[in-house]
Amino acid sequence: MTDTEVVVVGGGSTGCGVARDLAMRGLDVTLVEKGNLTHGTTGRMHGLLHSGGRYAVSDQSSARECIAENRVLREIAGHCVEMTGGQFVQLEGDPDEYFEEKLAGCRECGIPAEVLTGQQARAEEPYLTDDVKRSIRVPDGAVDPFRLCVANAASAERHGARIETHAEVVDVLADGDDVFGVQVRHDSGPGKREHARTGERERITAEYVVNATGAWAGQIGELAGVDVAVRPSKGAMVVMNCRQVDTVVNRCRPKGDADIVVPHETTAILGTTDVEVEDPEDYSEERWEVDLMIDELSALVPILREARTVRSFWGVRPLYEPPGTGTRDPTDITRDYFLLDHAERDDLSGFASIVGGKFTTYRLMAEEIADHVCAELGVSASCRTADEPLPGSEDFTVLREYMDEFGLRSPVGRRSVQRLGSRADEVLSTDGPNPVLCDCEAVTRAEVRDAIDQSGTDLNAVRIRTRASMGNCQGGLCCHRMAAELHPEYGEPQARAALDELFEERWKGERHALWGEQLSQAALTYALHATTMNRDRDPADGASVEYAAFDAGGADGD
Amino acid sequence: MSDAENPDGASEFREDEPTDSAEEFEPIEVFPESESMDLRPGSDDCYKCSTCDTSCPVAAVDDEFPGPKFQGPEQWRLKRKDDRDIDESVMSCSNCMRCDSACPSDVPLSQMHNTARGSFVDEQMDKLSREYVRNRILSNYRTLAALGSKVPRLTNFVMGLGVTKLFNEKVLGITSEREFPEFATETFREWWEKRGGPNVERDDKRVAYFHGCYSNYNTPEVGKAMVRVFEAFGYEVLVPPQKCSGTPMFANGMLDDAERAAETNVAELAAAIEGGADVIASCTSCSLSLRQEYPELFDFEGTASVAANTYEALEYLRVHEDLEGALADAEVDDAAFAYHAPCHARNQGLDGQAVELLDALEGANAEDVGDSCSGISGTYGWKEEKYDVSMEIGAEMFDHMEAADAETGLTECPTCAMQMEHGTGYEIRHPLQVIEEAVVGADAA
Repeated sequence: MTDTEVVVVGGGSTGCGVARDLAMRGLDVTLVEKGNLTHGTTGRMHGLLHSGGRYAVSDQSSARECIAENRVLREIAGHCVEMTGGQFVQLEGDPDEYFEEKLAGCRECGIPAEVLTGQQARAEEPYLTDDVKRSIRVPDGAVDPFRLCVANAASAERHGARIETHAEVVDVLADGDDVFGVQVRHDSGPGKREHARTGERERITAEYVVNATGAWAGQIGELAGVDVAVRPSKGAMVVMNCRQVDTVVNRCRPKGDADIVVPHETTAILGTTDVEVEDPEDYSEERWEVDLMIDELSALVPILREARTVRSFWGVRPLYEPPGTGTRDPTDITRDYFLLDHAERDDLSGFASIVGGKFTTYRLMAEEIADHVCAELGVSASCRTADEPLPGSEDFTVLREYMDEFGLRSPVGRRSVQRLGSRADEVLSTDGPNPVLCDCEAVTRAEVRDAIDQSGTDLNAVRIRTRASMGNCQGGLCCHRMAAELHPEYGEPQARAALDELFEERWKGERHALWGEQLSQAALTYALHATTMNRDRDPADGASVEYAAFDAGGADGD
Repeated sequence: MSDAENPDGASEFREDEPTDSAEEFEPIEVFPESESMDLRPGSDDCYKCSTCDTSCPVAAVDDEFPGPKFQGPEQWRLKRKDDRDIDESVMSCSNCMRCDSACPSDVPLSQMHNTARGSFVDEQMDKLSREYVRNRILSNYRTLAALGSKVPRLTNFVMGLGVTKLFNEKVLGITSEREFPEFATETFREWWEKRGGPNVERDDKRVAYFHGCYSNYNTPEVGKAMVRVFEAFGYEVLVPPQKCSGTPMFANGMLDDAERAAETNVAELAAAIEGGADVIASCTSCSLSLRQEYPELFDFEGTASVAANTYEALEYLRVHEDLEGALADAEVDDAAFAYHAPCHARNQGLDGQAVELLDALEGANAEDVGDSCSGISGTYGWKEEKYDVSMEIGAEMFDHMEAADAETGLTECPTCAMQMEHGTGYEIRHPLQVIEEAVVGADAA
């Protein structure tokens, strides 16, 4: 008897998708992830829900999958998707032939495509340059990868799965030529993450192990003694302070760096580059990549040149090509996904890896791997993930009506409901006062507490669930408020450690945007934190604070 | 600086239409069916320091009011193309525009507030509601005043009746605590016509007077003082046709009304500027409107030229004439004032002007009563539900006026004057009237 039927390694979109699919088919699933959900590539993408238009010339089978999955996700994940629409914009001087090829490609792949004149394109997106010659309108959208991934994990849990984050696989257990589980090292626990609690090692035995670690698949393969040659390729993305565009804007020319602007929640994300790296966790984040984004994309949307950036980040694509293909340029490597059955390939049973692929088709990949696992385990249940909505996306249409009922100011209520979807009622109906904790992103105490319930003391996990600290001050005015919500369930040292970790994470991206307004922002944040919390020279570091020595404050609480 | 030293007059202060160097930043209509503009990029400048919130007089006394940072950059940044709803709290903003001066980072706060308020009134306010009707009436004071001043004595009598006040409060929501301002028996324009227009005619020193509604219908003595003072300095004064500056309309989100009025004003004033005049206002809210709100909200031909060539009356004389010199040679009797600088004067950097000028004048003294807001903010303090807030904001000013060594108030803004009078019972004068007494003589009136 094993601990679980299937272990899924990797808490990104693919891993969470696989866990959900298998759990819905009635299998007992355990998902382990070394960081937060979305910690790897999923949390570092530009948030584009592909229409398939980007691949309509170069990779038509991917394009067809994209448009099909695009339609599925609108149905099952309405609260994670914003159907912004998108344009492939041809500027004066961009090749006509490619525009025609793109248009024909879209039509061949069944992607609704409509040609707009330059004037129509600008009427739709007023900040586009007046050099627009014409554009193709396609059903691109924006998707929140954090919310989608968390919703998949929540659905898996509802179907009985166990989700363990901050549980790094340190060994793949094999008995000769059969994999029978993994050994993990918990950061704290097992269970929800809790700073300052000792982590244990745990052996989790299973009938089948799925390696869904994307760019890290080679490392997990190595633990099992098989060679999985992923070719990680980094891409830089720049986050703007606000939305200069409300639809996805692509430059319509043959592949190139820095050719897309995606409206994402309250921001716009510029992308991207494509440079192969050795190690998915250790690569240089270079200034030229950021400059390139802004320089190139200003030709498309001129206001970007003067607009405020709030941070930059890099993601690593889990590119893969079958051994012997030998493509030199990473931009030429296929975006298709591959299911590697190690029994067939390496004579190692009970183990498969899934590599390549892209976020938009995560569900399809998950379905294929779940089919494979079920076949291996002799389970005949069929996939239901394309039909059953994710938690938060059930009955999404009725929501608008009760937006006003939560006693929140209208933009705060509106944004909260956009994030929570059908969970809004459950999360926001609260007896106590419900102040806004993060002003930039309009996140209330109730939503932060709901996220803490899900993820323990991990404030970065709270962040990806709520967007708190992801706005223009990058947490300068709200990180400590989030940490304060950990009390009284968790103690002061835990809250302090969690706060430190959140600050560090915020700084990681903000340091790549230190000019103009964001430099002023960082300077203000520094001054505020230094003068109000002594964070420039923390007297409480390493020592406990005598909180009892402080008075309890005024009787009125002021 | 006199014209003799600089024959070119105001040329260095006069600008042509600004060059379109930043064409891509021009606000573009994204919501074509409404009048609103996309001001999201304006949120780029906000780094959330909250200085605006600490300078907001409404937020200081009303805990329910979320403050200018929320109303402006935060609310704008949270908008998506299809989002229409504006939080109703924008109607509690009094449009004092102190946040504009407070912001260290040039966030276009009042522009954001005005635009949001306009869209709230357009799309979310019930056009049959008492609030809408009342606000429409208040913001179109000029229309009301034009009617009332046809029969000023009767109007004053009726407006003073208890039954009228009761009706206003119960039916319209206009507070009965305040005395309706009296209409003059002869408007400024009637006087001007009767007088036969300007006494000085010359084409090298010419100003176009924007008197606004209040100097015309209620306090023509301020308008007359303006004319006599400028004529004493050798200026030809023009009085072009004009409508309300729009100030009360902005504050009530009646942007369509404001736009109609602005169209006339811009056309008339731009024509006067073409004819060699600069534009002078005696009301600091009128001058702020022409200088700042017009270019922020409208795009008529000539808007930029009007904005660049408009001045407050004494500011203009301080720039172009030796006003201090003239005052140093003059003398008035026993003129001690408790001076309040209106918020809209502060926004134009004029808050120290009256005190400095009267310092130079023998027999006169103006004591600044501090930097608080008077609280009335035009039509705001007239609203029944805002009256208490308005008086709470004004309390500090009343205290300081009473503590000052003077029994007369002084201010440039007609509604601040109402509030000062209402809170202290003092008579309130306009600095132009004191200057008139000094440089023209007390008997001129």
